[in-house]
Amino acid sequence: MQARLKYPISVVMLMSLLAALLTACGGGSNGSTGNSTGANCGTVSLSYWNAFTGPDGPYMGKLVASFNAANPNIHVTMTIQADYDTKLDTAAASDTLPDIAIINEDKIATEAFRHILRPIDGIMPALGYTSSDFPTPAWNIGEVAGHRYTVPLSIVPMTMFYNVDLLKKYGIDNPPTTAQEFAIAAAAATKDGNHGFQITTGFPVQQIFQQLLHQFGGTEYNSDATQATWNSPAGLQALQWMKDAQAKYSAPKLEVDADVNSFKSGQVGMIWNGIWQATNVTGDGVDFNGMAGPVPQIGPDPATWAGLASFALPAHKSGVNQCKDQAASSFIKYVIDNSLQWANAGNVPAYNKVRNGDGIKAMPLQSSLAKSVENPVFPPAVPGIADAFAPLGDAISAVMSGSATDMQKALNDAANRADQILAQNRQKYGSTPSNS
Amino acid sequence: MQAAPPASLTLTHTGKKRKKRARWVPYLFILPHLIFFTGFLAYPFFNGLYISLFRYDYLQSSTNVFVGLQNYINLFTQGTVEFQEFWNSLWNTIQFVVYSVPLLVAIPLLLALLLNSKIPGRNIFRTIYFAPWVLSVAIVGLLWFWIFQSEGGLINYYLTAWHLQPIQWLSTQPGAWVSIVVATVWWTMGFNMIIFLAALQNIPTELYEAAQTDGSNRWQAFWLVTLPLLRPILLLIVTISIIASFNLFGQPFIMTHGGPPLASGGGTTEPVMLEIYNEGFVRHFVGGAAAMSFVVAVIMMAVSYANFKLFQRRA
Repeated sequence: MQARLKYPISVVMLMSLLAALLTACGGGSNGSTGNSTGANCGTVSLSYWNAFTGPDGPYMGKLVASFNAANPNIHVTMTIQADYDTKLDTAAASDTLPDIAIINEDKIATEAFRHILRPIDGIMPALGYTSSDFPTPAWNIGEVAGHRYTVPLSIVPMTMFYNVDLLKKYGIDNPPTTAQEFAIAAAAATKDGNHGFQITTGFPVQQIFQQLLHQFGGTEYNSDATQATWNSPAGLQALQWMKDAQAKYSAPKLEVDADVNSFKSGQVGMIWNGIWQATNVTGDGVDFNGMAGPVPQIGPDPATWAGLASFALPAHKSGVNQCKDQAASSFIKYVIDNSLQWANAGNVPAYNKVRNGDGIKAMPLQSSLAKSVENPVFPPAVPGIADAFAPLGDAISAVMSGSATDMQKALNDAANRADQILAQNRQKYGSTPSNS
Repeated sequence: MQAAPPASLTLTHTGKKRKKRARWVPYLFILPHLIFFTGFLAYPFFNGLYISLFRYDYLQSSTNVFVGLQNYINLFTQGTVEFQEFWNSLWNTIQFVVYSVPLLVAIPLLLALLLNSKIPGRNIFRTIYFAPWVLSVAIVGLLWFWIFQSEGGLINYYLTAWHLQPIQWLSTQPGAWVSIVVATVWWTMGFNMIIFLAALQNIPTELYEAAQTDGSNRWQAFWLVTLPLLRPILLLIVTISIIASFNLFGQPFIMTHGGPPLASGGGTTEPVMLEIYNEGFVRHFVGGAAAMSFVVAVIMMAVSYANFKLFQRRA
């Protein structure tokens, strides 16, 4: 009985193994026959990955569906991936990267050097975009070692969320836009157990620091990104401002998300967080009148920390497939040209024509932030730059949580460690992406 | 080479044949495990040792460079980024072992003793106390994150309801360690409890009867009968609890993100496994991460060895 049972099981196992092998081979041969460069490509299938795991995913899904409906010869399949960087990494190692991918601003150079992305100079004529179509920093960050790797899609800026009801109660009728107005509003609402402004000790304090650093005229790194420069007088001024604001208005030692959670409870006047919190803390997300708008400008120079989602084409060992590249460029162009619909998901279109067009005026949040994304704070386009920010994040958090009291020393130590990391990265990555 | 054939050729020949069969048959029996052991343990082990001598990134084969012992030297040179972060995270992990292992031995033992007595509904209690063990670390981490989080979390809600000062559990010390240890003990105590329970049920009741006849009270019976007979199981529990606590990763990853951070780099609850993960899979310095793994492995082996020696001496 047992022997008879075992036999079919092993046969099934063997068959499934064979089937897996066969489909693997089949996939391989399909890929190579699709390499024809002629104009007649037939139906082209494209895989498209992004990390829009939040409420933004369905908005992108709708755009993909309408593109597929309008282009019967192209079929785009979108996959939303959690733990995105790891997925790209393992897919690159097994040569199963998608045809199109969304990449965040701090990963572009790293993934270009690590052969996850390939240059897209070839499809730029078909796309027809130039530097004057996007905010300059958003365009520039897509160029690595003289080649274009990405085209900007959407920007998610640091945003101020404010409780209109609470501010009104203390006589503040309009959201503050300057340092003085902010101080008045925050102080007015810090009463009766309420907090005028909440700031955490974790995310997004590093991003708030970067924004203020640029507003006070500083930068994170020197021009060739070989040295951290956040320990400048501007950096100290920025950190001092944050520490003062925390002491005057905020509950101390708040952990990540405590700003958002306490804002939702209705006892907080203002918080600064990413625009992606909009659905969470405004409108139906809260039972008071929660609104969102640009963060007040504290220092003399305009600057807003922002994230950037860009389109990129991942690398494949089989090389470039002209049919797929043509199809990919028409998809990318479609989404960027129609990024007004994508803006509904809670972002600001990077494409100037859309951002400054008429359609955006129907979106109060996006149009109020359209100006602030013209001066976004982005990291330098060098590989491994995200690693060099880690010591800064530690230092800012340590100061905000009170475990470090000497601000200048904390910034100096962090800069010293970042310099070491930058040197290690230069050694590891070299100056141009080499072909492996 | 040209040695004369032995005198009793036929005899040795048959003898050899028998021996030969006897030699490879046992290997055949262990072959299934051997295949998996070689593929998933031995090969990765030696490959890791090899990689730890390189500046290595699996996606940049052209820039991988042999660096000798440099990855190890960095770990033992004061002032390098690796030195600070690695030893800080290792120290964090050791702290966690010291906080959690005594609780993970004492509380399950106490529960097992209680649930070994004849109380009504003990099977229900056994199930309840074991239940958290079946949850994944993500669920446990999130559950306790929401209980401990400072703005509207369950604990601070009750603290303020009783007019006590709320505590920033997850962003200050010692709150962060308390949160992580409580979550871990709640999660894994059920497993240790079940092992203790099984061991307690193996102790013959005659021994307790004999102890009672000799006039010992329950406390003396516990010290003189139960505990000595539990020693092998106690050794097992202590050893696996130490190893499990050394592998701390998910709870701080989800609950505190390694924080509260230190100005000198790293966080005060960042465990060494998270540091290795960051070095290897976030920074992509795989060689450095491999070197860290080997230093941790050597330390864990030393701890386990000391543990065995300690229990042997007492026996």
